[in-house]
Amino acid sequence: MDPTLIVLLYSSLAASAAALGALPLIRRAEVPASWIGWANAIAGGLMLGSAHALSGAGMALEPFVATGGALLGIGFTYGTHLVSDTEDLDLNRLHETDPTYGSKVLLTSFLHSASEGIAIGVAMVLDLRFGIFMALAIAVHNIPEATILIAVMRGRGVRLLPAAALAVAIDGGQVLFAVVVFAVVSAAPGSTAMMSGFAVGTLIYLVLVELLPESYRQTGPTTIAVLTSVAMGVLILLRGGLG
Amino acid sequence: MELHPVWTVFAYGLVTALATGVGALPFVFVRSVSVRAVAYSNAIAAGLMLGASFGLVAEGSEWGSAQTFIGTLLGIAFILGTQRWLGSHDVEVGELRGAGARKMLLIVVVMTVHSFAEGVAIGSSFAGGLTLATVITVAIAIHNVPEGLAISAVLRPQGTSLAACAGWSIFSSLPQPLMAVPAFLFVDAFQPALPYGVGFAAGAMVFMVFVELLPEALEGASRSAVGLLTAGSLVAMILFQALL
Repeated sequence: MDPTLIVLLYSSLAASAAALGALPLIRRAEVPASWIGWANAIAGGLMLGSAHALSGAGMALEPFVATGGALLGIGFTYGTHLVSDTEDLDLNRLHETDPTYGSKVLLTSFLHSASEGIAIGVAMVLDLRFGIFMALAIAVHNIPEATILIAVMRGRGVRLLPAAALAVAIDGGQVLFAVVVFAVVSAAPGSTAMMSGFAVGTLIYLVLVELLPESYRQTGPTTIAVLTSVAMGVLILLRGGLG
Repeated sequence: MELHPVWTVFAYGLVTALATGVGALPFVFVRSVSVRAVAYSNAIAAGLMLGASFGLVAEGSEWGSAQTFIGTLLGIAFILGTQRWLGSHDVEVGELRGAGARKMLLIVVVMTVHSFAEGVAIGSSFAGGLTLATVITVAIAIHNVPEGLAISAVLRPQGTSLAACAGWSIFSSLPQPLMAVPAFLFVDAFQPALPYGVGFAAGAMVFMVFVELLPEALEGASRSAVGLLTAGSLVAMILFQALL
């Protein structure tokens, strides 16, 4: 199969996994805040594990360039938060009808999925098997993230199926960025270290600024610490098992 | 008179332990300990510790991913247990009592535990010849400086004196000379335990970051400040390890 098609296939699979996030909401209109905290922590741990895998690959190529890329990724994400005024946005408010808030949540979620798409795209260039692993890791992480997003939408009266569809659509950013980054980096292999660093920087920054602060407020630090560290460890274990 | 090689191994381990004390030096110039400064210090320490555990896990995975993962789970359980134990006892460190003292003890315990694996690495590296041992020792000594910085970043804002910061930093690395000697003497017996030890250290550090350092950093500073400082110091630590 053409490598670009593989990227398209697996990144679409990752984005579609978001629909599974609706499952916990079939029987209940709202989820307890602690569930959202757990979901954030697991998603955060998986993202950090992905960043770990990518950083190793980038550093092995060109350490200084990869580091430059990571700093650029951190700066870029900070900049987009600043410009869109979403720096301290609480993404998990279940009751709010302000349309500005809604548009900010959508924008932040889209930017979030864009950096995950970049991670999939770069990993695919490094090695298709690694890329598939990364896409599956992002797919698993999309599920708890989508549960939160769908719960937020349900809180505003959106029905379950449209909410699940919207969650998949927002993760469509992953497909778009994975395919574009794969094509660009394949055409300019010199940019691989820079782009893998960039993905690492954005992933780490997003976990620290978006996922963890929310989860600490939703449930205690001990539960968050256990879930985040174990999710991160499991991902690294699976990556190591693949060799 | 020629020294027994055991003394050389011990001396190499001691050098790396002393290097940890150098990490306290930047605090000669940093005097202010406002709430925000404490939060910033916690954020930087969190990044340095996460970066260090990234390196440890990568190293452990080369020997065995499953063993490293088991070690990681044990490390998490160990800190969880220590935290619970400290929580049920009235802890006192110098002038400090309560939460501050608990956090100080916890970071010193975490860093000390993590030094065991490094001591074993120094000792067993002598099996590869003096040159390899020197390279490994220099690498670990340099690597210890930011660890001392991480410890001092937690202790200094709590009012600990500069000398005590350096002292606790060195203390946390004392397992290095102590473990280097038996590891050198029984290198074959120690080797299989290394991935467990390295995983244990990484698990303990990562857990410490998520349970203590980040929540406290986020209480005293904005999310973006914590994000920038932690992510920045994490990336710097990864680069630092890649260059060694």
